[in-house]
Amino acid sequence: SVGFIGAGQLAFALARGFTAAGVLAAHKITASSPDTDLPTVSGLRKMGVNFTVSNKDTVKSSDVLFLAVKPPIIPFILEEVGPDIEARHIVVSCAAGVTISSIEKKLSTFCPTPKVIRCMTNTPVIVREGATVYATGTHADVEDGKLLEQLMASVGFCTEVEEDLIDAVTGLSGSGPAYAFTALDALADGGVKMGLPRRLAVRLGAQALLGAAKMLLESEQHPGQLKDNVCSPGGATIHALHFLESGGFRSLLINAVEASCIRTRELQHLADQEKISPAAIKKTLLDKVKLESPSLSVASASKVSLFTNKSKKN
Amino acid sequence: GAWPRAAMEASELWVGFVGAGRMAGGLVRGLLQAGKVPASNILASAPSDKNLDAWRELGCRTTHCNLEVVHRSTLVFLATKPHILPGVLEEIRPAVGPHHIVVSLVAGVTIQTLQRLLPPWTKVLRIMPNLPCVVQAGAMVFSRGSNAGDEEAALLKSLLSSCGLCEEVPESYIDIHTGLSGSGVAYVYLFAEALAEGAVKMGMPGALASRIAAQTLLGAAKMLLETGEHPAKLRGDVCTPGGTTIYALHQLEKGALRATVMNAVEAATNRACDMAKD
Repeated sequence: SVGFIGAGQLAFALARGFTAAGVLAAHKITASSPDTDLPTVSGLRKMGVNFTVSNKDTVKSSDVLFLAVKPPIIPFILEEVGPDIEARHIVVSCAAGVTISSIEKKLSTFCPTPKVIRCMTNTPVIVREGATVYATGTHADVEDGKLLEQLMASVGFCTEVEEDLIDAVTGLSGSGPAYAFTALDALADGGVKMGLPRRLAVRLGAQALLGAAKMLLESEQHPGQLKDNVCSPGGATIHALHFLESGGFRSLLINAVEASCIRTRELQHLADQEKISPAAIKKTLLDKVKLESPSLSVASASKVSLFTNKSKKN
Repeated sequence: GAWPRAAMEASELWVGFVGAGRMAGGLVRGLLQAGKVPASNILASAPSDKNLDAWRELGCRTTHCNLEVVHRSTLVFLATKPHILPGVLEEIRPAVGPHHIVVSLVAGVTIQTLQRLLPPWTKVLRIMPNLPCVVQAGAMVFSRGSNAGDEEAALLKSLLSSCGLCEEVPESYIDIHTGLSGSGVAYVYLFAEALAEGAVKMGMPGALASRIAAQTLLGAAKMLLETGEHPAKLRGDVCTPGGTTIYALHQLEKGALRATVMNAVEAATNRACDMAKD
């Protein structure tokens, strides 16, 4: 059985994907979140997923536990559910920039050999065309990795990588769908400008990218060669490509992947320094934090140190 | 009198050059290299001896009389400057016969113009070489006029392949060839210079940097030609993840190098078209 700490976009997408793939029945999935107003919560409920506001309940009823919250929340979650983590649990963190070692360090105060896997996936898991990589932690066995791989392969492409590549993957396929949506929006604008109705333009644009991606994945040929195959001499396509080149299209994409990767590392670095800006935490959670940990102070320097609150557990 | 029989065997071919400048010199060196035409069968004309000395050194015959070239040759290369050509054609026209094969190297002069200024049954071909013909690494394209047949095309191709790549094309490609390869050679020189300058900036002596730059271009081009692989693939093969090459390529992409090069080819091609109209 699978549990999701967090019931936002990622949990929803994965739950939807797993159930559609038939690898997991909805009732074997539990998801939890303190915020019941999220639109994804009702979506999960409709799917037949067990929804609860108790993260501890999720942990208790899962073997594979996905941490599907935003990166700044991870330390809070680990603090909260750490005591309930047992040897059987496989903790899968999907949080960008959060290292295996930071999770293991946090959990080891509760459990001597926590099985941790770090994973980077993307939203198209929802339509079972996700791109996922994972890296296994110190105590995760080969079978644990394979189990995760089986799950994630049911919703798209999944492969194991060295952890140090995960930030680059974030920049490329993690953020990638956003680049594609931007491109599609603009392509549709182009279609509309030249006279197409918007809906048709969107449909055709999306199909063109889908088809091109499929051709590339199924072909042995280099994308440059596939591009050439479309460009008849003096024709429409080569004229259009010249515009793209003039605009530095390629370099913009390279810049984007680089920026996303670098930002991921920055955020990780901030997290490692155990400093977090309050703006990164939703207000409700921040209030909860203040309530439960009065020794935690939101410094006027606008940085919160997460671990000044020493846990009394051993 | 009767016209001489057309000679199609290279060994009995009498080859003439009207104009003996650099381009013609490059082609003749290629011909001689190929060993298909003896130097003594080659006759070149030019107004002054300035260029002709080099031809004599190769063993060719020389003259100052264009008509003599036409009288004594079957295959006649026209290699004058564009503004000279009309006058030269008027001069040699009476001597041009059906056995002649006239090949024009003259930039911007169309087959239509050539055929208009020569007798109506003349076998005319037009060729656009590029500078590295002089070192037998040229890129040439040629087109046929209305009376030039497969035999003439085959002869030209077999003679000139010794100078480099020689392909028959529709005449409309000739201006594009100018933009790509005729002028293209200059783009490469510019790139080579810039490469070397980058190296000098980083501390390498200029002469060494220049030689290495040239060898880099040569080697890369050789790999392209010999492997037949797509340049994008070869580029990818050099790019180790997170390595030096991909960092450098990013800089080139930021500078929109690709688009700039496309612009250059387009500008030169358009200019060639415009000049041909003049």
